[in-house]
Amino acid sequence: MARHNVSIRYSKLDIAYSWIFLMPVIIILFIAAFIPLLSGLFLSFNEYKLNMPSIPMHLIGLKNYQELFKDELFLNALRNNTLFAVVSVTIEMILGVMFAMMLSDDDKLSRFMTTIVLIPMVIAPVAAGTLWRMMLDRTYGVLNYFITLLGFSPVSWLGDPSIAIYTIIGVDIWQFTPYITILVLSSIKAIPKSLFDSARVDGASSWKLFSKIILPMSSPVIIVVMMLRFIDAFKVFDTVFVMTQGGPGNATEMLPTYIYQQGIKFFRVGYSSAIAVVFVIAMSLISYGYNRFRAAQLRRLN
Amino acid sequence: MARSLKKENTSYLSNFLGTPIRVIFLIFLLISILFPLYWLITSAVKFEKDYFAQPPIIFPLKITGINFIELFTRYGALRPLINSLLIAGFTTLFSVIFGSLAAYSLVNGCLPKKIKVILSGWFLIQKMYPAIVVAVPVFYVFSKLRLLDNISSLIIMNTSFNLPLVIILLVGFYIEAPYELEEQGMLEGCNLFQRYFFITTPMVKAGLIAVGMLTFIASWNEFLFGVILSVNKAKPLTVTIAGFITDMGLRWGPMAAMGCLIIIPVLLLMWMMQRDFISGVSAGALKE
Repeated sequence: MARHNVSIRYSKLDIAYSWIFLMPVIIILFIAAFIPLLSGLFLSFNEYKLNMPSIPMHLIGLKNYQELFKDELFLNALRNNTLFAVVSVTIEMILGVMFAMMLSDDDKLSRFMTTIVLIPMVIAPVAAGTLWRMMLDRTYGVLNYFITLLGFSPVSWLGDPSIAIYTIIGVDIWQFTPYITILVLSSIKAIPKSLFDSARVDGASSWKLFSKIILPMSSPVIIVVMMLRFIDAFKVFDTVFVMTQGGPGNATEMLPTYIYQQGIKFFRVGYSSAIAVVFVIAMSLISYGYNRFRAAQLRRLN
Repeated sequence: MARSLKKENTSYLSNFLGTPIRVIFLIFLLISILFPLYWLITSAVKFEKDYFAQPPIIFPLKITGINFIELFTRYGALRPLINSLLIAGFTTLFSVIFGSLAAYSLVNGCLPKKIKVILSGWFLIQKMYPAIVVAVPVFYVFSKLRLLDNISSLIIMNTSFNLPLVIILLVGFYIEAPYELEEQGMLEGCNLFQRYFFITTPMVKAGLIAVGMLTFIASWNEFLFGVILSVNKAKPLTVTIAGFITDMGLRWGPMAAMGCLIIIPVLLLMWMMQRDFISGVSAGALKE
């Protein structure tokens, strides 16, 4: 990020401006990110219910954390979210890379399809969830209509506890596979064309080009994208909120919706903050591990 | 000659699984993306009895604008629409202005190296961490400040969550801007602010617009802070459409109309600036 240049001499005014320029950002991040994070940490050691102002906030030490690991509903949300993340990201990666390959040439079809693929990416997840909920309605939904046309019996996509989570996974795949496709596609396009041409002269098939050149060369991008999607999968909120509200029962409860439920709906500010703290620590560990992995990988490449 | 070679090359890589499989997959992809959109738009123009028809009406012959009109007359969608525009607009404005100041300072300013490293690290971390983690404390803090149900609280939160990405992207643009002019400005006695405002920032205008578009889309689509911080009069469109499901039963016509209202503007915006959108998304994911 730094620019080294010998001819530069900054005046005092310039130095002052350098700091002034940073101030708005520092202030905003301090107020809206840093303070809430710290107060969340503080709240997590307290018993505090927003709907009962008569009982003042009081320290209870690690009680919230002890409750957490005995809380069957929390463990359930953790299990659901892990299943959701693993299944949806795996399928999204496979489909995403495949579609990227299928759009990697410079023909009209690829360009047209690239424009289409971008659509789900800019649709608000809430709107996508609403739309799919309408299409997946058990009685009036258009999808069940098609299914009955094919001779199957209608499916209760969102009402059946054993199916609902896979329905949410399906909507997530619909919305985020394009993200992977676009990123992998731009990494394929960045590979010098001459590499393909010389391989083709040697008689390599397009499958060979894919497995021997493209896959290894875009694997750094693929891994980064996979990691980002994996982390994002633990932030899933909007879709679940509008499609199932965590139900039926607790079948689609995820960590973010559970934090929301405890904190905002049940007003258990302290307990919900404890979940959030554990959550952010886990996420940081994952990203730290990933950064280590990535650094090691970069070293190997060089 | 190069041209003829290129012609011969088209659809070579993309057929890596064979042409038939490519065609089948792309048709599947096309339908799975376009059909839901088609369904949304047709549902929005159907009459009430038609969206509960059995079998469902795939090609509505009689269409109506009543759902869009009712959206504003009966469901009060004007307020959320204005809220969404204000929230996304101001978030974009603040993110781009403050973000460009900070990015410029990080690239061309005179700051200790340590500060630059710490700030860049902070931006990367904040780009990753989930908004839900601060949601409950934010709810608590804003309720103490009596700023619940006030769009300024939504603008603050959206700005803070978009800034890291904005800065990371803009740093890239400022690094690429030619440095000679910056030096020349310095020799002619322009101070840092003058160099920022008159010399270098005009050169990254395209970058500012691209980043602004990404921010606008992100904050237009934002839901979590909306649902937590707004009760009634500050609700954005995304929160209102969620209310159609949870509060009002199956009002599919107006709900679909509102879906169109949310989706179509950002879709048009993205298509107008497709190239910027793709490069912005890629840089946002892959830059460190």
